Order: sequence, then structure tokens, then C-alpha cells
Amino acid sequence: MYRTLENNQSTTLEVDKIDILIAQMVNGLSYGMLLFVITCGLALVFGILGVLNLAHGSLYMIGGYVGYSVTATYTQSFWLALLTAPLVVAFIALIMERTLLHYTYKLGHLSQVLLTLGVAYVFHDIAKIIWGTNVLSIRVPESLAGSVSIAGQLFPLYRLVIIAVGIVIAVGIWWVQNKTRWGAIIRAGLSDREMIGALGVNISLVFTSVFVLGGILAGFGGVVAAPILGLYPDMEFQTLILALVVLVIGGLGSIAGTFTASILVGVLETFGRYLVPELSMFLVFTLMAIILVWRPNGLLGKQVAEG
Amino acid sequence: MKITKIGFICTILFVLVLSACGNSAIQQSGGSGGEADASEDKVKIGAILPFSGVYASLGKDLSDGMKLYFESVDWEAGGKRIEMIEEDTGADPQEALKRTRKLIDQDDIDILTGAVSTAVAYAIRDEIVTNKLPYLTSHAGGNDLTREQKSDYIWRSSFSSWQIGNSMGKWAYENIGDRIYVAAADYAFGREVSAAFMESYKEAGGEVVGQVYPPLGNNDYASYLTTIRDSDADGVYAFFAGSDAVRFVQQYEEYGLKDKFQLLGSGWLVSEDLRESIGNAAEGVHAASFWDYNLENEENGKFTEAYEEAYDRRPTIESLEGYDAARILVETIEALDGDVSDPEEIVKAMAAVEFDSPRGPFAFDQNTHHVIQDMYILETIQEEGRTENSMIDQIENVQDPGK
Amino acid sequence: MKIYLKFSTALLLFAASPFILTSFHINLLTEILIFGIFALSLNVIVGYTGLVSLGHAAFFGAGAYTAGIIAQNISANLLFTLGGAVLLSVILACIIGLFCLKVSGFYFLMLTLAFSQMVYSFVYQSTGWTGGSNGLSGIPNPILFGWELSNTVWVFYVVASLFLVVYAILGIITESPFGKVLVGIKENEKRLKSMGYHTNIYKYAAFVISGIFGGVAGALYTYFNGFIAPSDIYWTMSGTVLIMVLIGGAGTMLGPVLGAALIVLLETIVSTYTNMWMMILGAVFIIFVIFFPSGIYGISKDIFKGIQNHTVRPKVKNISNEKVS
Repeated sequence: MYRTLENNQSTTLEVDKIDILIAQMVNGLSYGMLLFVITCGLALVFGILGVLNLAHGSLYMIGGYVGYSVTATYTQSFWLALLTAPLVVAFIALIMERTLLHYTYKLGHLSQVLLTLGVAYVFHDIAKIIWGTNVLSIRVPESLAGSVSIAGQLFPLYRLVIIAVGIVIAVGIWWVQNKTRWGAIIRAGLSDREMIGALGVNISLVFTSVFVLGGILAGFGGVVAAPILGLYPDMEFQTLILALVVLVIGGLGSIAGTFTASILVGVLETFGRYLVPELSMFLVFTLMAIILVWRPNGLLGKQVAEG
Repeated sequence: MKITKIGFICTILFVLVLSACGNSAIQQSGGSGGEADASEDKVKIGAILPFSGVYASLGKDLSDGMKLYFESVDWEAGGKRIEMIEEDTGADPQEALKRTRKLIDQDDIDILTGAVSTAVAYAIRDEIVTNKLPYLTSHAGGNDLTREQKSDYIWRSSFSSWQIGNSMGKWAYENIGDRIYVAAADYAFGREVSAAFMESYKEAGGEVVGQVYPPLGNNDYASYLTTIRDSDADGVYAFFAGSDAVRFVQQYEEYGLKDKFQLLGSGWLVSEDLRESIGNAAEGVHAASFWDYNLENEENGKFTEAYEEAYDRRPTIESLEGYDAARILVETIEALDGDVSDPEEIVKAMAAVEFDSPRGPFAFDQNTHHVIQDMYILETIQEEGRTENSMIDQIENVQDPGK
Repeated sequence: MKIYLKFSTALLLFAASPFILTSFHINLLTEILIFGIFALSLNVIVGYTGLVSLGHAAFFGAGAYTAGIIAQNISANLLFTLGGAVLLSVILACIIGLFCLKVSGFYFLMLTLAFSQMVYSFVYQSTGWTGGSNGLSGIPNPILFGWELSNTVWVFYVVASLFLVVYAILGIITESPFGKVLVGIKENEKRLKSMGYHTNIYKYAAFVISGIFGGVAGALYTYFNGFIAPSDIYWTMSGTVLIMVLIGGAGTMLGPVLGAALIVLLETIVSTYTNMWMMILGAVFIIFVIFFPSGIYGISKDIFKGIQNHTVRPKVKNISNEKVS
């Protein structure tokens, strides 16, 4: 089956190889940024609340579906979807945190894993009731549709926009973390959760706001990713696993780590598919295994307490 | 240590509760028949379909198609009432096996139908054969089910992967060009379809310049498409379905391949329920299928009209499969005058079923137990702001070789 | 003395079940016992040692596929297929454990996931051996001492007796000094290290033991269904068994079995009535976390204590210690 690979490489040799490498680099970057947009909310919540939110994929999915409803049925406006969906998801996240998650902070990681998984299951069927089981997709707005040419290779404009969006979010989180009072609290929480209390800050409020912020990012990611990844049953679990992998490779509790890991996974996976397509299935998890064996706390992760 | 007691109390309770219902396993191993009195006036049809998981929409369409036909005969055949018992298999073959056992042991069904995933069909195959249960496969298309794994009790009314791939091969060589690139989802069915395509394409004289098999559920085709873009093929043959198909066809256009190579595929690449999500990127695709919404024949007109009236949406390939499967079952029961007590007789009656289906003339191959049908080459065109498939060529009586 | 009494009661019950239950219920009970073994095996590392794995399906799958492939190509003799399954599980656990025990906590969970997904990909792509996405079908019935186990009842007896054996072995292991060290590692690894224990060797041994019995469960699943699919080795399977352990009550012997029973029963019963069974299952998870954080075992313990002497209070603290971490 794989014999034809040589065949295919001999033909590519004739074409200018540098062009292809540049093209794949851009592909990798845009895929990586897409991963970052999806993962950053999960990383933020885990970093500060210490909660592994297995419903993150579901929040992402709801964002995508709400975005679909807004663009396909009511207003046709992608921009409005980009605004509405994160708000709807933020509201759901708020309810989820106040009514359920709230009780589990004292119970430990495993209870939170079980709880958020339960929530993910419930959301799965709710989404099925509301949006059905067909494959849906969000149309890219006219202004972002079409393709541009870089180094003689054609790229969808929207892919380049995603690179920009990823960078903007990363810079935004960095700015909040390092330049604002909120950031100081969050940084304190990242290194020592008890310290926030010592600072005289209402921990409960911080937790709720961060979780809602995670929801906003998830909902936003859902809309941004939908034109590329589509909306279909079971999408949330596929996305969740991918996001968890990126999170772990980057190292827990580090947004910079998540950013680095997103780019690394995006670029390596894209090149892996190009150079050894028959190993596509192994790529992500092998990469994760190698990195964890090499650096037991991920790329930029700090030592996390056991438990 | 005392605590273990509670567990055993639970076990005892559990056993007692269960023992309250039905015959014991030891008595039952002789086979069905315990509740013959109750089921005398009805025929029980079991349907194992996915209502959850990635194949959920296919399961729903199959189910709706079946119900539409059963409704049209008032749920009656051969003087008996038809009772359909549906079980959700998800996308998990082990779950399907469990459900099938339940249908056999608990519900005492007379005929089984369904199975979307090929793995499901293979999983239940031995169970069906040992229990001598007539089974009409209404979707799962793995070749071996009517080849090496064929059985007197297994009949297939849908398609085989060979039929899907083979029909396009020769046509592509004659109409598109002699160099082609093959891209297919990496699972047994995708591999089988593309192998059948390549076999027939090469036989006709064409050359396959490259192949690539992205994993099932792959979310970014950019890397593969960039590779394909630099090949010197005349066209690309792609086998993808569901969300994979939407992403592939969209990204195929976005990466500028649409202007360079003709895109070929199976009916699922541009199927009725996906084209809206794909958008205009689907325009110009050539696909091979055994049915399409726009086929012009009397039966199809009746079918599509009734379906849209009942469900307020267009039928898909799966709806048609369900509709035809229900019709085969009804005609089988009619032929037997409602006497479904002997599986051998059921199978014999099923073999003889022939009719004009919305897809064209329908008949079983008596050797392989697989449908012999016409295949259609479709082209996706733009019409009144949406895309439609239109038939541009027809390949008559495509018969699976059975080996 | 009491333990023997309990075991003989269980033995009697199992022996009698095929005379009382329908074959549908026997199948259900068989499945519960198989998943019970699977959950018990995971419990060795999750419940006793405090290492939460999301890759346990690798061993289940390895056992299942080995048993299936041996039965198809070499011999369907049960001792042979089971032996092969155990052997491969041991090798796999030795390799995976070597790497995974370098990390801890959440990283351990993800690394076990990574390895099991690599095993999954390998199985999925080795179409010649495993049938790829179609699964491995047409596996012959197991043969024990020249007797073909063609009937659900025979398979049930094999599964039930192996269940009792596994339960006894794991019970002895966890009660042994070795088991006490594992619990010590879960509670405070640093302290044990300072006491001079080579905790890594203990953890490694626990991981391998857990892998072995995971493999046994997989092999039994093959005998039971005569079919294996790649979904049996996918991460969702690891997730399901982890849920069984958590809902049942991690770190207890009976808990994981009760958890397995609950999940299997729920899936079977609920999905007969509605396609929305995931929602109901999800709701059950939530209810357990909020209201019964110590699992089914914890509930039964509470009730039992309540019946016994109406004084539940003094022991509650003890229970809540168990479930944290």
C-alpha cells in the first residue's frame, strides 16, 4: 500500500521543494493556532482552578452550534455569531460553576473529572435534541473567504486570519496576566492557590470569573473553528482529547507552555502527515509520550502537587 | 470484613429480581419458541441501527425510510401485523452484538435488519448464523459479508464497497484522464472502495500516481492537499463520508485544487444531507452512487414525494435503503402468507424478491446474496442558489464478483 | 472462617444462576463479571496505589486480541489462549510501566492514555492480523480439556469461576504487607521513601499486576463475544472502566464490581427505552459526585451500618478520608 509514497516523492522532487516546505510551515502554524484557540480556555481553568474540565469540549461544541444557529437561521452574520456564542456559553459556564462545580472544590480531582464528564454526557444529548445529528458547518464571511498566494502557493485567507486570532488571544492573556491586578491575582493563584485567600481576595469570585472566562474562550473557539472543523455528533470528545494532549505537552499551569505546545503539535503533525502519511494516526500521541518521558512536567510546566 | 456481606445481600437480591422474569438459560438453550402463542398474529422485525454516535444521522434516516414504507402498507403483511423493534448500536460493534442477542433471546424476533457500520455486521455474523436468523443488511457495505463470510441467512440490499469503487474506475479512465491521485479515509471500507476503484482504473489502462490515507475523523487536510497539489494527476479520487467529506471537499477548493484536478468520489462525498454544509465547493464533483434524489423514474418520484410530505426534509441514500429494506421484508412476508416460523422458508422467499425500486430494477444475486443494481455517475451542479446532483451516466447491472 | 462461607455462598449462587436466569440475563451477568474483573484490575493502581490511569484499555485489548488471534491461528485451547493473553499483557505492562512511572499525577494519566492510544493505532493499522477497523470476527469457541464451550452457560461458568479466583487473588494481595505498602504510597509516598521503601518497585509491581488482570478480562471478553473491535482498546473503554471504579468506590474490593454492575445495567436497561441514555448516565455521574462521593460501596456501607447499630456517625469521618485524593 505504501509503495506509492516513493512514487509521489519522486514527482515532488521536480517542483521547488522550498515552496512546499514554506507552504507546510504556514499550514502547520495555522493548525497550531487553531489548537491554541481551542485549548487556551482549558489551560486557564486548569491552571487557576486546578479543575480538569472535561466538559470543555462540550462548551466548545455549544459555542459552535450557537454560532451555527445565528449564522444559518436568524441573522446570517458571522460577526454577530462571534459575539453571541461566547456570551451564551459564558452563561452556561456560570450556571455550571455555581450549581455543580462549586461543590467539588473540596472533593479532589477525581470527583471533578467524574462530574465534568457527567456534564459533558448531558450536554451531548441536549445538543443532539436541539441541533440534530447532521453534519453542519459555519460559512466564512465574504470578507474572509477566498485564497491568497504566498510563495507561489495558494492559502485560504481564513487560515491566515486564524494565525492572527491565535496571536491576539495569546497576547491578550499575557497582557492580562502580567499587566493588570487581575493578572497578579491569577499569577498568585497559579503558583499557590491558598495565597489568593491570604491576599484578601474573594476566592470564590475569582474561581467563578475564571471559569466563565474559560467558557467565553471555549465558545469563541467553537465559532472560530467551525468553518474548518465542522459540527457533528461526538465532535466534543475528539476536540477534548486533542486539547488535553496540547495542554499536557505544554505543561500544566502555563499559558506560554500551551502556546508553544500548540505550535509544536501543529507544525510537527502537519510535517508528519506530509513526510510519513502512513503514521498520521500515531503522531500526536507519540509526540506526547516522547515529551513526557523527556520532560515529566511538559515543556514549560511547573511541578504540580500530586493527587 | 462485615461490609462484604452487604455486597452478597445485593447479589442475592439482584439474582432474585432477575429470576422473577422468564425462562432459565438452561431451558432456553434449545432455541426460541417459548412465546409462540403471543406472537402468532404478528411478525417481529428487529432493527439494529445507530441512533447515537457519529453514525446517528444515518441510523435515523434508515429508520425513517423503513417506517415510511411500513406505514404505506399499514404495518401489515401476509395478514399479520408488523412489529419493528429498534435497538441503538451506537458506533460500537460490541454494543450491537449485545443488542442482537437481546433481540434474539428476549424479543424472539423473526427477521433482523439494519447495521450501518461494517464492523457491526461482522460482529453479529456468527451469532446470526448459529441462531439461523434471517438477516437483511440494509447499509453495511464490507465486501466480505457476501463473499468469504456469506451465509444462507445473510442477504444484502444496500451495496458493496466493490460496487461503489469499481463503477467509477473505468468511467474515470474514459472520461477524465489516465493519471489519478487517490485519497481515502483510513478504515476498512475506505480502503476497500479505493482498492476496487484502482483495480478497475488500472485495468482500463490508467495510472495511479499517488495514494494517501488520512485517518478517519482527520480534521485538517491542508498537509495532504498541499502534497496532492504538486502532483501531475488529471484528477483526484476521494473516498470520505460524513464530517470528513465536508472538510475534504471544502478544503479541496480552498487550497486551489478544484481548478487543477477534477474531483471524483462516491455518492457520500456530496450526499443530500452534506451538500448544504459543503456549500458551493461541491460544484463540479463527479460521484458514483446507486441512487440519487434527482433520479427520474416513477418509483423515485413517489418515494421522494411521500418522504418529504412525511418528514419535511429530503430523503438521503440511507432513507432509500431503509425504504427498500422494508419493502423487501413486506414482500417476503406476503410471499409466505405471514408464516414466518421456518427461517429456511423466509430466506427462500427473500431470495425471490424482485421489484422496481426508486434506485431502478432490484434483484438479489442468488449466489452471493448481494443486490445487483445499476450504478449512476452524478455531477454536482449549481441550481437556484443551491447545489444539486444530476445523473450524467449510467452503468447497468453492476454485480459483485463474489470473490 | 467467614471468608470461606462467603465464597461458598457466591460459588453456589453462580452455580445456580443458569437454572434461574434467562440466557439474556446470564449474558448480562457474564458481562458484569468480566467488567468486574477489569475494574478490579484497574482498582489495584487507582484505588490502592493512587495512580490514576486512563490507558487501561491497552491491556484489555492486548488480552482480547491475543486470545482471539491465537484461537484463530494456533489453537482455541483456553489454557493456551489465556496464557498467551497473560504473557502479552505482562510484557506490555512492563514496557508501558517503565515509562509511565517516571511521571506522576495528571501526567501519569495522560501518558498512560498516550501509550494506550499508540497500541490502539497499532491494532487499527495492522489489518492483516487484527482486521483493522472491521474488528476480528469469526473467533472459534474456546476449548477446555477437549470440551468446546459453545454455550453461553459454559462461558458463564468459566467467567464466574475466574472471577472468584481473581477476586480472591486480589483480595489476598491487597491485604498482604505488599498491599499495605501500596496504600502507604497512595497516602504519602515521601514518608514511605524516607522509611527506606523503594516505592518505585512497588508501584511498578502494582502496575504489572493491574495489567495482567486487565489482560485476563480482555481474553474473557473474547470468549464471551467471539469478536473484538478496535473500540475495545480505544480511550473511551479506559474511561468507562475508570468510571466504574470511581462510581463503585475506589480502594475497596467490592466497589469496582458494583460499579461495573451499575454501568452495564444502566447502559443495557436505559438504552432499551430511550436513545438519550448518555444524558441519563451523565446525570447519574453528577448525582454520585454531589450526593454520594464515596461511591456505591460507601452508600451500602452507610446503610449497612445504619441497620447494624443505628450509630452511623462515628464512622463517617473515616469514609470521607477514603474518597479524597
